[in-house]
Formats: sequence, structure tokens, C-alpha cells
Amino acid sequence: MKRLLRDPVACLGFLLVVFAALVAAFAPWLAPYPDDAFDSHLLQRLKPPSAEFPFGTDYLGRDILSRVILGTRNAITVAVSVVLAAMLIGVPMGLVAGWRDNWLSDVLMRVTDVFLAVPQLILALALGQLMAPGLTTAMAALSLTYWPFFARTVYAETRRLRGALFVDALAGLGASPARILLLHVLPNAAPAILVRATIGMGFTILTAAILGFLGVGAAPPSPDWGLAVAEARQHLPESWWFATFPGLAILLLVLGFNLLGDGLRDVADPRLRRSRK
Amino acid sequence: MSDMLASAPEAPSLMTVRDLAVHIPTDAGVARILDGVSFTLPPGGSLGIVGESGCGKSTLLRAILGILPKGARVPQGQVLFQGQDILKTPVRGRIGFIPQDPYLSLNPVFRAGDQLLEGMRNHAPGTRDDHRKKLINLFHAVQLPEPQNALDKYPHQFSGGQRQRLLIAAALACDPDLVVADEPTTALDVTTQREILALLRSLISERNMGLLFVTHDFGVLSSVCEDVAVLYAGRVAEYGPTGNVLADPRHPYTRMLLACHPDRATDLIGIPGTVPAATAQPPGCRFHPRCPISRPNCAVAVPEAVRIFDGSRVACPYHADPLPEVALG
Amino acid sequence: MAEMIGARDLVVELGAERGLFRRRAGVRAVDGVSLSVTAGETFGVVGESGCGKTTLARTLLGLQRESGGEIRLENAVVSGVAPSLARRQRAAVQYVHQDPGAALDPWWRVGATLAEGLRIQGLTNRTEAADRIAETLRAVGLDPAFGERYPHELSGGQQRRIGLARILLLRPKLVILDEPTAGLDLSVQAAVLRLLRDLRDRFGLTYLFISHDLSVVRRVCDQVAVMYLGRIVEQAPAAELFAQPRHPYTRALLGAAPRLDGKAVAPTLRGDPPSLRAIPSGCRFHPRCLHADMSCLEREPVMQPVAAGHSVCCHHWREAA
Repeated sequence: MKRLLRDPVACLGFLLVVFAALVAAFAPWLAPYPDDAFDSHLLQRLKPPSAEFPFGTDYLGRDILSRVILGTRNAITVAVSVVLAAMLIGVPMGLVAGWRDNWLSDVLMRVTDVFLAVPQLILALALGQLMAPGLTTAMAALSLTYWPFFARTVYAETRRLRGALFVDALAGLGASPARILLLHVLPNAAPAILVRATIGMGFTILTAAILGFLGVGAAPPSPDWGLAVAEARQHLPESWWFATFPGLAILLLVLGFNLLGDGLRDVADPRLRRSRK
Repeated sequence: MSDMLASAPEAPSLMTVRDLAVHIPTDAGVARILDGVSFTLPPGGSLGIVGESGCGKSTLLRAILGILPKGARVPQGQVLFQGQDILKTPVRGRIGFIPQDPYLSLNPVFRAGDQLLEGMRNHAPGTRDDHRKKLINLFHAVQLPEPQNALDKYPHQFSGGQRQRLLIAAALACDPDLVVADEPTTALDVTTQREILALLRSLISERNMGLLFVTHDFGVLSSVCEDVAVLYAGRVAEYGPTGNVLADPRHPYTRMLLACHPDRATDLIGIPGTVPAATAQPPGCRFHPRCPISRPNCAVAVPEAVRIFDGSRVACPYHADPLPEVALG
Repeated sequence: MAEMIGARDLVVELGAERGLFRRRAGVRAVDGVSLSVTAGETFGVVGESGCGKTTLARTLLGLQRESGGEIRLENAVVSGVAPSLARRQRAAVQYVHQDPGAALDPWWRVGATLAEGLRIQGLTNRTEAADRIAETLRAVGLDPAFGERYPHELSGGQQRRIGLARILLLRPKLVILDEPTAGLDLSVQAAVLRLLRDLRDRFGLTYLFISHDLSVVRRVCDQVAVMYLGRIVEQAPAAELFAQPRHPYTRALLGAAPRLDGKAVAPTLRGDPPSLRAIPSGCRFHPRCLHADMSCLEREPVMQPVAAGHSVCCHHWREAA
């Protein structure tokens, strides 16, 4: 943690993420017009930024600032649940596959490779067509495409750690594989998983926004950032604020997660830490 | 200890370390890793630097090679190599270095020859072809199998002993006047170690090079070095001809340390306590907290080096006192 | 005297792979080893790196499954079972790693690691576990407060002590010590060896002592077996082996050890040990042996008795003496 604070870039990422999390947690109280998530006011359509509406209003006359704030909660919920679901699938698979060299390990890793080979957006779009398009479908699709990254990471860590002397010593004491994997290998692999999860959050937010933009993610009138950018397309370039502020929110939060993830990786891996300077 | 040299007659020296101190600032305070280390190495001489881990061996080595870590300060002292202070003007190519671990010292993805030739490019006269010929000759000298082809092999194609031969050849490639070796045989088996040491000895004396040999193994020391400096906590505790020091150690630390050697000990005792951290060196004699014959004065005054005979010094005023039986086992 | 552990014609193959996509033959790291360790003694195994001494230890422990031969523990045959079962069966045998610091999980406090061994063995009572840990830490010369530390906060000597405490907690009868003094300073080494001797007397332990440091082996071992390329080439009481080595390899090994007086006592041994993948015909040592003749090239020597408790695996031990 101390080392993380010494790295100004990672600090910036950390601050961005913390800020976004706070905004998400207190969104209904922070937003000047919390009801603008659903209500429309056609009389004040597409007003430019002013003291009353700092980010302007959209094509239904809703306050963009409020919608960006309310959208933060959406974005973070999607990111956290997708990454958690991906972890739930990927981490156990990586542990099991990495522990022994047998047919099961081969099968698991080949399945992982197959999923890794499928482009994430294509699978999400296909799933969106198969099932009803919506946020849940998008989330399912993202989880289904993101778990192989966890499986790969944990697989590599497990293979590295199973050769470690302390694992050998535990086996010598008669510890069961479950005990070794859950109590020893998993905590030692935790930094790598954490880094992967942080970068995955940013990645998921971006992909979820793209899906929203393409119309297979969140559905109107939900205050989704990607959706807002899509809706703003018809009003460009005159109503520049409509697309700019939700887009900026996406950019900042994704950037925040990526900077934090890079910083964490540098802390977790001293070898990388030096070579970056 | 600075007067050690003042009292010694000025003889032609290959390397003279005079009152050298190296301090490294850390989070826990300033680490006084070396404090007033002095010794002289005549041309063609061989000096062993012996001590336990944390005594400052590797920092001394780095100072001599001019590769002190970033942030290290040298508040006092000189390292004179052929009369030139190498702390101010580093010499390149005239000091050969044999590293500790032959497995870690060669990059596995490049041919051995390319790595050695790269090292020679800037420090040895002549063309790349000259260098190749020279290395192949050296490979003959270090008895590497198939010396003609060795340049084109990858490091993993050599065994540990062969790699160490390769690195010895590399150290000699620029015709240095001094070879510095850092525990070159710790990673090897005893049978291989013996061959490598014999080889090193003969190569050095044939070429009349000086040898500075860092080790923690008294057995290795006695088969390679004429003189020895025993380091303790960043200072020279005892200095003299290897045979004399091993047969008749004077400093309480050297006496107790040698009594720990399994070939020597009548009972296994060890030395109570631990080597002090470099950031918390005790005042006065740095060995006094562990010394069975320490007196109140030892905690106050830094012991002056006492001359026992020409070329033999001990940093303990009470070196003639007997140690209690229990301390020697 | 009762036998603690014994082996007959033990063969261990390493590195054989049987995956879905790869298949590879292994090497015989231990090839026909027979030995018998008497209860209460320190049995040394010496040899160069790659001679199979660590593999032998891991097989006796049960972490590595043997491919042939028999292992006896207190006169009961325990070989022929899978490693997971073998470790439960052989709880009386415990192993101390060469680098006990790396054998500790860096995320766990030392005390938690010590308690874990007890939990694996089925002791779940926390107060009893804490008492036993404190008692054992004192036995290895450490303050019980060391349980609060993390592995990286320990010195090399303290790590060895923790490594010992960790297995002593489990009340073993046979302790396999893998290079217990490697990388230790002389003064610390002496203290550790003394501790080992005290613990053996106090807990009635038997040691299998694996080392390449002949000075140490001579100092602490009762019996010594010399291994070369997976075979035992000579075995004798320590005093006799060091005074009258019979096998040319033993003699070269003893002669190569650096001596404090700097004198050389035997001719050097030429070359590096050959690889296990290309084992020489006949006597495995013949390419490096000064006494080798045609018979060494053609016939494999067998163990022959030299004196009581002293046997050697060489055609020419009589002439070469």
C-alpha cells in the first residue's frame, strides 16, 4: 500500500476509482435531479451547460449531470458483478488445472483457449440476439468471455506455486490438496488475481458501454453512459455536451481502473516495478 | 585502524585499500557497511577476504569493482589500483571478475561466445577475430572440452564446472593485472571445486596476476590464498599470512570462528549472538557484545591494529589473553 | 538393534510424463538402492549433486512413489502405495528441507504454520496446540514470541530452527535432514549441528542426514553411504569410511574436500559426473576411475563385504587400497 502511494500515476487511478465508487454509493443524494432517471421534460430539451444544468440537458430535457451520476452506479454494478462472476468460474478452473498435469488439466485449459479465441463483442452480440437484449444478457455475455483471463492467470500462478518449496513442505506434512490450494496457493496468487480483476473492471465498463451503444446492453430510459452516447449521435455536433459528458465519464473511470491495475501490478511484481522507470 | 598502513613499509603494491568506509542510507538509518578497511596486495599476490554473511565482503568487492549500489557514500578512504584511485576514475578491463554463480551469470538465450566477445569489445585491443583467437586459446588453457566450438554453444550446453571455466576464461580475456573472484566455487561440487581452484591458482601464477578471493570457506581459502583478511562487521579483525592465521589465530573472533569448523572443533559451540545489523553497529570494538574476554574499555574505544610481526596485524589489544575453555569447545 | 527404516533394491524413475498430449520416458534417479538405518543413529548419505540422494529421501518419505523395490518402516513393508496414502502411513517419518525459509508460506505467520501441521494430524484443541508449539519452540532454542513473526523476518539460523520445530511438533521417529547446513555461516552451522545432536538425544530421534559437506558428515554421522549416479557405491561406519575408504570414488571425494592446512591428499577426479540419461556401461564410475580396466567396462560390480558393516561396490577394492 505504501509503495502504491509512492507511485503518482497509480495514485491518480486509485483516486478516480474511489471517487467513482463514492459517487455510485451516494448517487441518489448527489444528483441534483434524481428523478431525471425516468422523467422527461420536453420543454427544456438540449439546453447547453448552464448554472441550472452544469452538463446541459439531453433530447428529453433530462439533466445530464444527474444521469451521469446515476449512471456511475450502473457502470460499477455491471463491472463488479461481471468480474465476480468471471472470477467464480475462472479461479477454481485455474486452480484445478494448474495443480496437476493430467487429462483434466489438459481439457480445462483447452476449453479456456477456445473461449479466449472467441471475440468478446461478437459473443455478446450473438447472445444478445439469442436471448432478449438487455443488461442481464450483456452481463452474462461479458462474464462468459472474461473468465478465461482469470483461469489463465490462476493457472500460471498455481503452476508456479506448486513448485514452491513451501507447497512441497505441506505435502510432506500430509496436507490435502484442497487445503494447500485454498489456504496457501490461493492467497499467494491473490495479488495476481487482484490485478487481473482491477484491469477487468475497466475493460468491462468499456465493453458494457460499447454494448449499450450498439443497443444490446442497457435499454432506455436507464441512465447508461453508452446508451447516452448512442442517443446523442443524432444531435451532434450542435449538442456536443450530450455525448461529451457521458463519454468523459467512461474515459475517466476506465482510465482510473487501468492506472490502478498497472500500479498494483508493479507493487505485486518487483521485477516489473524496476523496469518501468 | 588507519595506522595499519602507516606502520607498514612502502612496498610496490598492485592494490591498496586505505581506510575505506562505505555507508548506505536506508529506511532504518545509515548502514555503516564498511568502516576503515585497509589492506595491501602486492603484484602477483593473492589475498583472501573471509567473513560471515553481513560482514561487508560483497560491498568491499563492489567498491573495488566500481559498482557500488546507488546511494552508497564513501565518506573516507581510497582504493588505489596501480597508484590510481579507482573510486574517482574507474578502471575498466584491467580488473577481471569471476562471479559467484555460473548458472546466473550467463544469459541463456545468447551464445556463450557472443556474450564474452561483447565484454571484450571495449576493453581489449584488436579486432573481433583477434578476440576469438584469444578466447579459444584461453579455452584451451582452462581445459574446456572442444575449445574450437565452445564459442558457438549456448550456456545450457555446459555443465556447472564448465561454465565456471568459461567465466574464468572471460575474466582473463582482457589480460587483467588483478582478478577478483567472488566465492567462485560455492555452487559446485567438491570434486569440481578442487579442479577449478587448482586451475585458477596455476593460471594466476603463470600470468603473474594478483588475486582477490572472497570466500566464507576456510578450507578453500587455505588452498588458494597466501594472505587473508578476516572481516567482522565492516572492519578487518585480523590480517596475515593464511597459514599463520589458520594455525595460530589471535583475534577472539577468528579463534572462535575457527573453533566452529567441524574439522577443528572438539565440541560444537558456535558463537553466541549474531552479527550486528549494519545500521546498529555497537560502539567501540564491534565484536565486544559477543566476545568472552571483552572488558569495559572494549565498548568505548575502537581497537587499534596491533602488529604481531611483519605483515600480520590483529585489531584486538587483548589478543594474547587466553579464551575460556567453553568458548572454544 | 532395531531397524528404523530400510530399503531393498529401491528403484525410482523421475520425469515420466503421461498427459493427454505428451508422453515421455523418465530417468532412473535411484537405481537399486538397499540400506538399513538403525534406530537412534545418524545415517549420512553423501554424493555429488544429481547422484540421487534427495530423490532417495523423498521416496523414503513417501512424497515420491518408487517404481520398484521395497521400503520397510519399523519392520513393516510400507511401499507400493500412492503418495497421499504413503504420507499418512509414514507419519513417523518427517523431512526438513534444505532451505527451511522457503518451506514456509510467506503469507502465514510462523505460529500459524506450526499449528497447521498439528491440525493436519488431527489435533484441533487450540490451547493444547499453543502449549505444544511454545514448548517445541523452546526446545529448538527460540522464544515462543517467534510465532508472531513472518518468515522473512527470521535469520538463516532461526529459519532452520523453525523448520525443525515444525516437524518436531509432529513427534516423528525418523527425521530426514536435507543439507541441513547448506548456506549457513560457520558459527551458525556449529550451533545448528549442536542443536540437532541435543534434539536427537532428547526426543530419541533417528536421522537420515543428506549432505555434500564431508567435514560435517564426519562430525555428526554414525553410518555413511556414498552415492554415485543413483547407486550406493560404499557404505561403512563413519569412522571407518573416513579412515579407510575403499571405493576409488569415495577416496576422490574425501580427497577433494578442502582442508584447513591447504594440503592436497589425493589426485583430483577428472570430469563432471555423467548424466543420468547416459549411464556408462559396467561400473558407472569407470570413465572417471584411475583403476578401471576391461572388466569394469563390461561387468557391473556388486556390493561386497570388506569388514563388519563395511561394504563396497568395486571390482578392484583390494588392489586399489
